[in-house]
Amino acid sequence: MVEYTLQLEPFLGGYAQQFEHVSLNEVDTMALISLALPNGQDGTAVVQALEASDVPNVGASCPCLNGSGTLMRMAQDQFLLCVEDVANSFEMNKDLEQKLAGIAYTTDQTHVWVALDIGGPATLTALERICPVDLDISAFDIGAVARTSMEHLGVIITRITETNFRLFSASSSAGSFLHALETSIENITT
Amino acid sequence: MTEQSNRLAHGGLINRDKRLSFKFNGTGFKGYEGDTLASALLANGKGFVGRSFKYHRPRGIFSAGPEEPNALVQLRSGAHQEPNTRATVAELFDGLWASSQNHIGSLEFDLMSVTDLAAPFLSAGFYYKTFMWPKAFWEKVYEPLIRRSAGLGQLSMKDDPDTYDKGFLHCDLLIIGAGPAGLAAALTAGRSGARVIIADEDFVMGGRLNAETYGINGMEGHLWAQNAVAELAAMDNVRLMSRTTVYGAYDHGVFGALERKTDHLAQSNGKPRQILWRIYSKRSLLTAGATERPIAFPNNDRPGVMLAGAVRSYVNRYAVAPGHKVSVFTNNDDGWRTASDLQKQGVEVVAVIDVRNAPAPVSLNGVETIHGAHIVDTAGRKGLKSIKLSNGKTIATDCLAVAGGWNPNVHLTCHQRGKPEWREDILAFVPGGTLPAGMQVAGAASGTLTLKAGLQDAAQSAETILNDLGMAVKKSESFEAEDEAHSATSFWHVKTTGKRAWVDLQNDVTTKDIKLSYQEGFRSVEHLKRYSTLGMATDQGKTSNIAGLAILAECSGKTIPETGTTIFRPPYTPVPIGALAGRARGKDFRPYRLTPSHKWAEANGATFVETGNWLRAQWFARKGEKGWRDSVDREVQMTRASVGICDVTTLGKIDIQGKDAAEFLNHVYTNAFLKLPVGKTRYGLMLREDGIAYDDGTTARLGENHFVMTTTTANAVLVFRRLEFARQCLWPDLDVHLISTTDGWAQFAVAGPNSRALLQKVVDAPFDLSSEAFPFMACAELTVCGGTPARLFRISFSGELAYQIAVPSKYGNAMMGVLMQAGEEFGAIPYGTEALGVMRIEKGHAAGNELNGQTTAANLGLGGFVSAKKDCIGKTLSQRPEMNPEDDIRLVGFKPVNTQDALLAGSHFITKGERENMANDQGWMSSVAYSPSLGHSIGLGFIKNGQSRMGEIVKVVNPARGVNVEAEIVSPHFYDPEGGLQRG
Repeated sequence: MVEYTLQLEPFLGGYAQQFEHVSLNEVDTMALISLALPNGQDGTAVVQALEASDVPNVGASCPCLNGSGTLMRMAQDQFLLCVEDVANSFEMNKDLEQKLAGIAYTTDQTHVWVALDIGGPATLTALERICPVDLDISAFDIGAVARTSMEHLGVIITRITETNFRLFSASSSAGSFLHALETSIENITT
Repeated sequence: MTEQSNRLAHGGLINRDKRLSFKFNGTGFKGYEGDTLASALLANGKGFVGRSFKYHRPRGIFSAGPEEPNALVQLRSGAHQEPNTRATVAELFDGLWASSQNHIGSLEFDLMSVTDLAAPFLSAGFYYKTFMWPKAFWEKVYEPLIRRSAGLGQLSMKDDPDTYDKGFLHCDLLIIGAGPAGLAAALTAGRSGARVIIADEDFVMGGRLNAETYGINGMEGHLWAQNAVAELAAMDNVRLMSRTTVYGAYDHGVFGALERKTDHLAQSNGKPRQILWRIYSKRSLLTAGATERPIAFPNNDRPGVMLAGAVRSYVNRYAVAPGHKVSVFTNNDDGWRTASDLQKQGVEVVAVIDVRNAPAPVSLNGVETIHGAHIVDTAGRKGLKSIKLSNGKTIATDCLAVAGGWNPNVHLTCHQRGKPEWREDILAFVPGGTLPAGMQVAGAASGTLTLKAGLQDAAQSAETILNDLGMAVKKSESFEAEDEAHSATSFWHVKTTGKRAWVDLQNDVTTKDIKLSYQEGFRSVEHLKRYSTLGMATDQGKTSNIAGLAILAECSGKTIPETGTTIFRPPYTPVPIGALAGRARGKDFRPYRLTPSHKWAEANGATFVETGNWLRAQWFARKGEKGWRDSVDREVQMTRASVGICDVTTLGKIDIQGKDAAEFLNHVYTNAFLKLPVGKTRYGLMLREDGIAYDDGTTARLGENHFVMTTTTANAVLVFRRLEFARQCLWPDLDVHLISTTDGWAQFAVAGPNSRALLQKVVDAPFDLSSEAFPFMACAELTVCGGTPARLFRISFSGELAYQIAVPSKYGNAMMGVLMQAGEEFGAIPYGTEALGVMRIEKGHAAGNELNGQTTAANLGLGGFVSAKKDCIGKTLSQRPEMNPEDDIRLVGFKPVNTQDALLAGSHFITKGERENMANDQGWMSSVAYSPSLGHSIGLGFIKNGQSRMGEIVKVVNPARGVNVEAEIVSPHFYDPEGGLQRG
């Protein structure tokens, strides 16, 4: 029996900040599992296995696992599953590996990404300074997902509500990503 | 001087309730909110504001917009100083500080004005003719002299304290220019529900409506504009962007725009001064209006000579009389409007000189009107005093309004190589050729020069665009407005023999310079521009190009369209470098990547080094160590003696899964992977398509269809991209999927004879770390520290008994602490990249210095890794005879004969007895280190036939660094060449 234990440390120490009309919070509760479809699969089997409502198009997402998860379609042959269970991502990945054997290849991506929620009435104005994606509700509806880059950093952005977005970026550059977002927000506040 | 002596008692769009103070050349003045610096200077009787570029002649305010060639000033002071700002677009604010530029001594007594006396020697191309000889003078005398006298303003040479930002906007329709046409189009599109952005460089929208006395729908033009702006501002789907210049049209409907956020404020308060926007538009409508052009005549550059439309702007918009006795010189009907407006505002107009013998389009009381005449000279050194006409008459006047016709602002239509076309009826170029994708042009910018027609044209264009986008159109209103007289004649310049007539005021290009260029063979418009500098610099010839072309056309006996025109490139107006850089300055130049144990390393005295975007611990200094070498030597020695720990997370990690994953690896690596057993790791080498070594690393097989590849830190992204290309394009039928997990796992090298004992304390039972159960090159998934998932690889870069252990990144910082804690009893130490490098050189492992894009597998001594039994990327070309010459270079080790000598990377090898020159070059030293294990300097390098020259003494030469020592060629494996330790 080893005498040591390891504790999870959020990449940004659980960052939470309320700016004028914009809030920015690290989300450290998400387990992220990448699902790659074997050649010839169209995702229907995955969607059924995960009890999702429909096969989302690339750039869209839908609830799954009885509402406890979200299935984001990242590419024709790739999904990203988000579930609120960061501590057990490894086990979840192992379970899914068995459950989805033959219909998807799974990879635990939980620790690859830092996630930040940005929300509030001035969110779009702040994101305008950093995000090349058209975030107008007519072009990027609730549940929409896009891969993009912000200040040279790869980012996945998804819309949670009309004025709330979740952003995922590489965990190794979490500090730079946070700084870029903070700067965007500070630049638009009075 | 009375305060604002030239300010009219009434009128204008200025706020007379808000008086502003500003300084010009140290003298205090007053102006009003709504003024530009130029209008405020004119209001205070300051017409002489600068010196010309080449001849240092006194110059005044010439225009009222971005086309200004003369009134370039330095705004603000100290580090905030910005040169070459056009006073005509600089918005006045309280406390503004401006100074004139390009003079030695005061503006009034510029010592450099003697240059004007030497004008006969300074014609077009004088640089090329004058500074030909003596040759030696060029670098030491001529160039410094020219550099000193050239240019206009000066930079502060201090760091810019302002901040800048960038941003992204999207719209259905981008309208460029918020004059009458732009506003009419915006109303149509906005009311129809389209997402509209309307941008204008001015701080008040309305364009010429603010400068003219037009009426629209029964109200004054500027009030119509105000109402339109108010209506648009109330629409959620419309974004109004004043103080924003759309400076460039790029591919796919993308535009660059510069928004001046705080330039009109005394302080930025830490907020970005300017924002560089990238605007993605589905369609665009250019309604940028037109720019008035002057007529060239002798001594037409005196302060007080202005564009006629600008004079109207100053009178109507700013309530400023640019002169007390104003004359008008025109070749078209529009010039008469200036006289009429001035009279209405109570400004004395002394004469209108029309080059045409045509009836006056308006009647003016008490004004001398002269037809069929032109100006042959002017007088007044620092301000216009009189003009002399071709009929011999001299007229006393202090302001001359010159109306030479209007040029549509076609600039943005040219940015995708659109070539403007000549329209004889308006004597101007209009947009032609291929316009930027999705762009239409309306109003004056398209050549529709009258108000009513322009409004209708713009509204119609907006409707067409909306139809094109499949949107329902709300029919636009009809406009009641005048179609003003605008008949013109092609009178470009007054022919003169003796006196100079300026065509390009900013670059001091005269009619004579253009003729001279033609005579000297520079007959294409492009050559003319480069030889004479016509149309260069900040104004890009906005007021000079057409006259220049017309004179060139005259010289060649061709028409203007036959002569052609230069086309415009971005930016439309200058964009500060700071705005282009945006936030990317200093520490924000690029993102940083931190290893999972960064916090631990920081707390434990690490010195960090940038490796790509990563910050890695380079060494961990301890008290008493005198320099980095002490720390590195200790880290190497203690690792080799017991155990050391290094964060190696930066190595690229690629998760590879699929039924064909093994076959895929077989294709990308030179060596075989098909039969790699589950639970084993193998070294792999990749080649480029041309056969050169590309990258190396280890790949572990975690399952039948599951591999984890590691790449070098530097190539992590490139290898991933390359594999994706191979997967998607070369072998799309293979069932293989890739995803990067570099950031997902915190990985630590645990190296040294006690590494197993250390890990034993961390790894959860019943995992067996013995060599029998977990031999060299084994890999496994396991748990550590009571259940934390982990991966373990028994691989060694140091040559010691070593492992790499990986845990999910969020556990990484804690894991480093645990490893150190568990290693305390063994004297475990953390080591950085320097010690890592020393140990890999001692072991003879190739790294980036060796895989440098010039070396082959054979050069690296890895020829045996290119399997003869299978194909792989790069194999065929690696077998070309040219890649395998008889005397090919080979990676070997170098040991100094005198162990006190230090080897130096980059040195070249010369055979003993040969002269040290490139002809005798035998190869180069790629990596060196001081080996604490051996007690002397060691090196790795490539030398011809290295493998058969063991024991030979060669010269190691670096003339640039003064190194010339002797070294023995030895095996590259300095440390434990048999590999017993790592297998132990």
